[in-house]
Amino acid sequence: MVGGHLSEAAAPVVEVAALRKRYGRTLALDGIDLSIRRNEVFALLGPNGAGKTTLIHILCTLLKPDGGTARIGGFDVSRQPLKARKQLGVVFQEPSLDGRLTVQENLNFHGLVHRVPYRLRMRRIREMLELVELSEWRNALVRTLSAGMKRRVEIARALIHDSAVIILDEPTVGLDAQSRERIWTYLNKLRRERDLTLIVTTHYIDEVDGCDRVCIVDGGKVLALDTPEALRARYGKEQVRITPRDAAARSGILAQNEGAVAEPGGDVVIPGATHAVVDRLLGSFGTGISNIAIERPSLESVFLALTGREIRDTAGERPTIARPNSRSGEPVN
Amino acid sequence: MLGALGGIYAIWLREVKRAIRDRGQLIGGLSRPLVWVLILGIGLNPYFRAEIYGDVRFVVPYTYLQFLFPAVIVLNVMYTGVQSAVSMIWDREFGFLREVLTSPMPRSQILFGKILGGATVAFAHGCLVLLVAEFTDVSLRTQDLFVGLLLIFGLAFGMTCVGAVIANRIRSFEGFGVFSNVVILPLYFTSSSIFPLNPALSGAQTRVVYPEWLVAIIKANPVTYAVDALRGVFIGFNQFEPGVGPVVIVAIVVVAFAIALFDFSRQS
Repeated sequence: MVGGHLSEAAAPVVEVAALRKRYGRTLALDGIDLSIRRNEVFALLGPNGAGKTTLIHILCTLLKPDGGTARIGGFDVSRQPLKARKQLGVVFQEPSLDGRLTVQENLNFHGLVHRVPYRLRMRRIREMLELVELSEWRNALVRTLSAGMKRRVEIARALIHDSAVIILDEPTVGLDAQSRERIWTYLNKLRRERDLTLIVTTHYIDEVDGCDRVCIVDGGKVLALDTPEALRARYGKEQVRITPRDAAARSGILAQNEGAVAEPGGDVVIPGATHAVVDRLLGSFGTGISNIAIERPSLESVFLALTGREIRDTAGERPTIARPNSRSGEPVN
Repeated sequence: MLGALGGIYAIWLREVKRAIRDRGQLIGGLSRPLVWVLILGIGLNPYFRAEIYGDVRFVVPYTYLQFLFPAVIVLNVMYTGVQSAVSMIWDREFGFLREVLTSPMPRSQILFGKILGGATVAFAHGCLVLLVAEFTDVSLRTQDLFVGLLLIFGLAFGMTCVGAVIANRIRSFEGFGVFSNVVILPLYFTSSSIFPLNPALSGAQTRVVYPEWLVAIIKANPVTYAVDALRGVFIGFNQFEPGVGPVVIVAIVVVAFAIALFDFSRQS
């Protein structure tokens, strides 16, 4: 473990090559290629029906791909599913706890099923409950917990066994800002301590910003894969934000600049603007402007440029999960 | 190896814990023997081998209560075994199954643990019926009891396997009422549970026969032989060769488990 650390660090933990999956007529995955490095936080971003959940289900071995390969820790998910699953901790989008069991019983179940020896299991349960600040709730029935607490139990559960890769499908959806921040604090702490690789799908653009690399998928294809900075530089557009002093200046700026957008707060935003535009605006409106700035491109604009959709359109709703409606090949239960 | 046992144990323990915490299931398991044995059994007891005219010559050496008692064990086992199918459907609908499917446990062990858990609960519910044995004049002798318990467990395992087969093949869940009306009660009533195949219980009744179609259905129903096996053990009465019942129970276990395993592995 320690000896090979350097070479292992360079090798990808997850490798996906030419992965394809079709449901009837719909092509859910159309040749996905990506590799995820050890110890990175990897975000999967895409509109509804982009293929994110299908990809994740294949990585979890819940679904079999039609073509291509996916490897986790070097094990092919189709040929060696048991070994691949051993490397894996999963937090599903939909809760998968047993509400009739207590927190402790749910965690113990997970530890037993993942073959964690007794002492280590008890220690991990204690540690993980401390980490997610639910130690006092260990004997509570899970169905009595709030949604945020259940999520934290699920995250604790995914960390009971020694996994190399943690997959989190929308881990923070439907949670308040405070719970979201907490969850990310735990995840980052664990990533450092346990040398974990995190694969996350999320709708929250600010969460994506904190990831090491972002993969934008749509229509079952990888549209872009890079660090948030590089994606901004390549696909994002800078914009000029002007705070006019009065209504007259505001309407003047809007009239003179094609493509200028009036924001509800009173600011005017001009996409794709440059220093030349700033100079010109200052020249013609001068004192009519109380504030002017060139803003660096947001990931939202990157997403918009690549998919043609606003991420807000997709946020909030639940991404479609393929439901098993025929008995062959559909995602399973 | 030990790790595999741990996983099966975890799944088994979860089933048992859930069953203990499910008051409704427990109440059903207790009320069924009371209603069927004490109300129906005592109520119909006088009519069973009635001889109104002439001298009373009973052809069969048992009362209706005794006759019904082993069948109610089977009924309780069937209800609980098939109820575990509902538990499987819920696991699938509410996502818990994923938690198990993404673990390093092989599918066969997952299914085995689940069925073993359901079978344990069904076995316990079958044994609940033994509590009313005293009211039915059925004597539970130790050696018979042991064979009886073995048969009840075999049947419990088989019925839970049947439940698993149904659960795997069902896509929309309409509630347990459907199960009880479509699966359990028809199988129960056509298993020679509440009336014997041959109505010649007393002298006058020797002239009565049941229609052939009914007899054919009863003979085709595997549950008939399970009931017969338990009757053989508990009241010493068999309508078929005594060896047939246990063989049928083993056959139910093997066939239903094989089908369940095939379906379950193919899905995932």
